[in-house]
Parts: sequence; C-alpha cells; structure tokens
Amino acid sequence: MKSAKLIIVLTVTTLLSGIGLSFLNSWAQPKIEAYQQKVLEQAIYDVLPGIEKYKVKEIEGTKFYEGISPEGQTVNVAFRAIGRGFQSELRILVGMDTSMTKILNVNLLQQAETPGLGTKIADDPGADNPAWFMQQFDSLTVAQQDIDYVKNEEPDKENAEIEAITGATISSKSVVNIINKAIDNNRELYNSGQ
Amino acid sequence: MAKNKISLIKEFTKGLWDENPVLVMLLGLCPTLAVTNSAINGLSMGLAVLFTLTSSSIIISTFRKIIPDEVRIPTFIVVIATFVTITDLTMAAKFPEISKALGPFIPLIVVNCIILGRQEAFSSKNPVGRSIIDALGMSVGFTLTLTLLGAIRELLGAGTIFQIQIMPDSFANWMVMILPPGAFLTLGFMIAGYNWINDKLKTQ
Amino acid sequence: MAKKNSEEQRFTLSSSPHLSKEDDVNKIMNTVIMALVPAIAFSVYHFGWDSLLTIMVAAGSCLATEYLIKKMRKREVTDTSSLLTGILLAMTLPPGLGIGFVMLGSVFAIAIGKEIFGGLGYNIFNPALLGRAFLQASFPVKMTTWEAPQHLAMDAKSFATPLGGYKFGESVIQNAGDYIDGLIMGNVGGCIGETSAIAIILGGVFILVKKYADWRIPVSYLGTVFVLGGIFWLISPANYPDPIFHLFSGGLMIGAFFMATDMVTSPVTPLGSWIFGIGAGVIVILIRLFGGLPEGVMYSIIFMNAFVPLIDRYTRPKYFGEVKK
Repeated sequence: MKSAKLIIVLTVTTLLSGIGLSFLNSWAQPKIEAYQQKVLEQAIYDVLPGIEKYKVKEIEGTKFYEGISPEGQTVNVAFRAIGRGFQSELRILVGMDTSMTKILNVNLLQQAETPGLGTKIADDPGADNPAWFMQQFDSLTVAQQDIDYVKNEEPDKENAEIEAITGATISSKSVVNIINKAIDNNRELYNSGQ
Repeated sequence: MAKNKISLIKEFTKGLWDENPVLVMLLGLCPTLAVTNSAINGLSMGLAVLFTLTSSSIIISTFRKIIPDEVRIPTFIVVIATFVTITDLTMAAKFPEISKALGPFIPLIVVNCIILGRQEAFSSKNPVGRSIIDALGMSVGFTLTLTLLGAIRELLGAGTIFQIQIMPDSFANWMVMILPPGAFLTLGFMIAGYNWINDKLKTQ
Repeated sequence: MAKKNSEEQRFTLSSSPHLSKEDDVNKIMNTVIMALVPAIAFSVYHFGWDSLLTIMVAAGSCLATEYLIKKMRKREVTDTSSLLTGILLAMTLPPGLGIGFVMLGSVFAIAIGKEIFGGLGYNIFNPALLGRAFLQASFPVKMTTWEAPQHLAMDAKSFATPLGGYKFGESVIQNAGDYIDGLIMGNVGGCIGETSAIAIILGGVFILVKKYADWRIPVSYLGTVFVLGGIFWLISPANYPDPIFHLFSGGLMIGAFFMATDMVTSPVTPLGSWIFGIGAGVIVILIRLFGGLPEGVMYSIIFMNAFVPLIDRYTRPKYFGEVKK
C-alpha cells in the first residue's frame, strides 16, 4: 500500500510536468526557431549584397545559400565556415561570388573568445570602427592565393592580406585559417554540384 | 499575532543578510562565478533563480503533506526541473539575447543547491505563505549579491555598470576582472567585506 | 633553506632551523638585492633611465603597501622582503609600462600575493610573479608591447622579443652572432631585467655560492628545459628552436635563479627541489612550443608553487629510527 503511494505520487508529478512542458514547448519552439532563422537570414542578406531572396542548396550535406538577384539569377553564394579559435568555436558566414574567387562579405555568427582580446575579432571598442577586423575580408580576391595575415604593418589587400589584432594573434590567425579552409573545401564541392 | 509578523519579516530578511545564500552559505557558486561578468547578467541570473525558487517552493509546500518522505528528493527535482525548463524556454523565446549570454547556466539552475536546499530545509516543512516569504528572501539576497558582484566586475573590467560608462576614458580596463579569476577575487573580497561589517555590527 | 647546508651528510637537516646562525631574513633579502645589481645596471644601460624609474616605483609601492597593511593589522614592518618583491616584479615588466600599471601590480603583489595569506612565510605563490600575472591578465596588450632598447633605437613602434619572434614567425635570432650579442649579452627586446643572461647568471651564482638559494632548483629547472627542448629540436630542427635558444631567451634565467628559488614558495627537501625544478621546466617547454603564449616561465613557477605543500609532504625525510610501514 505504501509503495503504491510512492509510485502514484512520482508518476503523477512527472506526468503533470511532462504535459505542462510539452504545451510550453509547442508555444516556445516556433519562436526559438524563428529567432534563429531571423539571425541566419539577417546574416545571409548581410554577406550577399544586392540580392532579393536566397535559396538553400545542399550538396553532400553542406548547405550553400545562393543569392538570387531581382532578375531571378543566382549571383552569389554563402556558406558557413566553422572551426576552433583560441578558446571557443568560431562560426563564420562567408559570402562569395559564384566562382568562389572573390569574397564579398563575411559575418561572424558566433564566438566566445577571451573578453577584451579575442573578442576584438567581433567588436573592438577602442577602434574608430569596432568591426574593422572582419571587414578587412570584404572584397578580397582569393583566386590565386589563400588569405594571409601580417602584424604591425600595412596589409596588402591586392595580395589577400589582412592585419592581425595586436595581442590576439591566435584568434586572428584562426579566423584566417577557418575561412581559407572552408573556401578550399567548398569551392570544388560547389562547382561540382553546379 | 504581532510576534508572528515580526518573524515573517525576519523570514524575509535572513536571506538578504544573516543567511545570504552566496556570502554566508556559499551556495550556488557555479552560476555566481560563471555569469557575473556584467551587472545585467548577474541580475538576469538572479531573476531566473527567483522565479524558479519561488514557484518550486509554492508547489512543494502546498503538497508537502502528500509527498512521501521516501521519494521526496526525486519529486523535488522533477518540480524544480520543470520550472527551470519553463524559465529556459521562456527566456529563449522572449529574450533570446539574454538567453544566449547566460548560455548553459539557465538549465544548470536545476542543480543549484540553493533551490533544492530551500525545499529540503524549509518549504517541505512550512506552510505556503511562509515558504514564499523564505523563497523570496533567499532569491532576492541571491539576486542582489550577483548584481553587485557583476557590477563590481563590470566596473573594473569594462569601465561600465549596466553598460553605462562610469569610469573616465583614461581608465585602462582590468581585463582580468571579467575573466574567471576576477570572479574569485571579487567574491573573496565581498565575503571578507561581509565578515568585516558583521564583526563591526556585533561588537557594537 | 638557508639552514640546509648541513655538513653532516648522513642526516639531512632541513625544514626547521636547528642551529642558530647569524643569517636573518633581512640579511638574506639584502644579499639577494645586491645580487640583482648587475642585471639592474644592465637594464639601465639597455633601456635607459625609465627602467630605473620603474624599479624604484615598484619597490616604493611595495614598501608602502606593506607598511599600510601592517598598520591596518597593527603589526610592525620587520623585514625588507617587500623591497625585493618590488624589484623582482619590476624586472619582469616590459619597459615603458606606465607608472600607474607598475603601482597597481605592486599593490596586488603585496596585498593579494603576500599579506592576504598572512605575510612573509605564509604566501603560497611568489608575490612578484603573482603581481605580474595580474598585470598580464588585466592588460595583455600593454604587457606585450615591447619598446626597442635605447641604443638599438629604430623607428619601429614595437619590437619583437626573441620568443615572440619564434612564436609568430618573425625570427629575431638568426646567426651565431645574435646568440652571443643578443641572448647572452642581452641586446634584444624583452622585460626590463630579463634580457641579459650574463648579468643574471653573475648574480645568480653569487647567491648560490652564498647558499641563499638551493642550487638544485636552477640546475633541475634549466637542465629540464635544455634536455626537453633539445629532444624536440632533434626530432624536428625546422619546427622547434634549439636548446641554447630556449635556455637564454625570455625570462628563464631570472626565473630560474631569482623567482623559483624564493625560499617561501619552493620545497624544503632536496628531492622536492628536484621535482619542483623538473616540473617547472616541463611546463615551460610545453607552453613555449605548444601553448598560445610565447613565454611560460611565469606560469610554470606559479603552477609549481601550488604543488609545493604537496611535494614537501611526500618528500618528507624519515624520522630517525622510523620503520617503513
């Protein structure tokens, strides 16, 4: 009799909890997904200039976001580049032309680097333009060579160079490597799927 | 009646000072140390705990006579986990930015000792009204401490409090304060300060 | 540790001072400060009067902090150890670091590094290094911006150190001449007191001879760095620097002779000293070759400091007549 009470109380508690949470979940889940979708969409429109809409194209499990111009043509493409930074995973959305030789824009989706140092890749409060680091990647041509980084000197944009952040060399280097690797991997994949 | 009223006030204020969960009982140190790199994060974590603790206390003290002793801990945990999930989902849906900043520490409230501790020590033995007062006192104490801790770290580490610039531009931010060691240092000094004030009060 | 030099070889007298000697804390501290004079003199020649100013500010702030805290605790200041802490802290700072930062580091070193634990003899970590660690964690950019030495002045705003050069691919040390002139004499960029190996060794050997530092610590520390660095170099000379470079670059020399040997924060037993030195050496190589930072001497010593109570406990000599359990 006693053990029956134990079972009943626990069962009822978990049952009520489960029912309640599933109702809450059915309300919250669409909102959470909508938010994630909004963030991603915002990022796609950010990195692909001059597009009206985009469509998702999946090749061998890799998602490419193709930008469609108002005339209905595929003009550019974006994809994710993911890899390790100094102490966190970096997720970057890279927008390129369809031949994947020129970077249009990049957008740092996620980072949790050392506050005040590595976080400067996203936001450098001391600089006139806090977003200068990621903006350096805009319109670099990477047909012939990979992106390279320099320290304490003027980078040569023609040669796909960017300037690393003083005191956050590893984070800077990681961003460069992650983007280089993603371009290398995706260029062939995307061209083969055309 | 008068006596009862006084003790109700005491029930509330003990969480603020005499039995402050962070400074005296050293409970819930995981979120305390991890999320307090800014005042707003400290405050949000505090409010999340306030909601979870108060709701769980209401439920558990209401049903305290039905819940058999043998399964009280699993029952408490289920109730607490339910409210933590409610908090987590609601924050993710309504305040995605704050939810992102607090990361895994919202779901981790479920293992926060303050909450289970209050159920075990208080609301499973006391009537609903008193349990609410106790839960509110504890969580307000927790919230204030975390907000203060976050404010000190944010002030020294970023020169701001609630993102409002306080320090002059010439102030060089002490980066270490918003890193994990800053949490330990600041908490240590807060506990030392608490004991110092307490000693002064007692000797008077 | 001053009492360690028991002539009696059959028994090792270590932890307690069993014989009274004329050495006291002040005499030891002052001798160590004297041993630092060559390195200080070189730093003034190398980086200019600014470096002397940094040293004086650090020493002054440390003394003042010690005095204030002792006053708060209603105690007397009885020794000059905080003066030594200040000088050592200054030696590990980059030249041209603002006065405010130097003062902040000094206050941290004495207040948190030493007095919070109960004062001299109770601190777990080397106070000077703790002060430096605080500055390094708080102002990482400031702490790694190296001013060009005065007499090598050039236009460059910042100046790569040999280790930084290795880590970030702008090699500073290239030929044999660079080894002698740069690493051993000290004509390279770096912290105020760390660049000249020869000046540090001069002072270091002096305190070893005076037995104010345990020779086992620098020997095992430097030896481990040399051997382990050498092994990696032999495996792949293209990827890893040679052991001589390891030995004479960065803060290893000053760390090995003056920081790791701090009496309060190093083991008391001979075996413990070996363990301490070897452990610190391994950490230096790991950080230098595989870590995110160019230099690992500071963290290696702080890290091993934390193990000292444990090392002492497990290397405790047997009581006379004690039977093995």
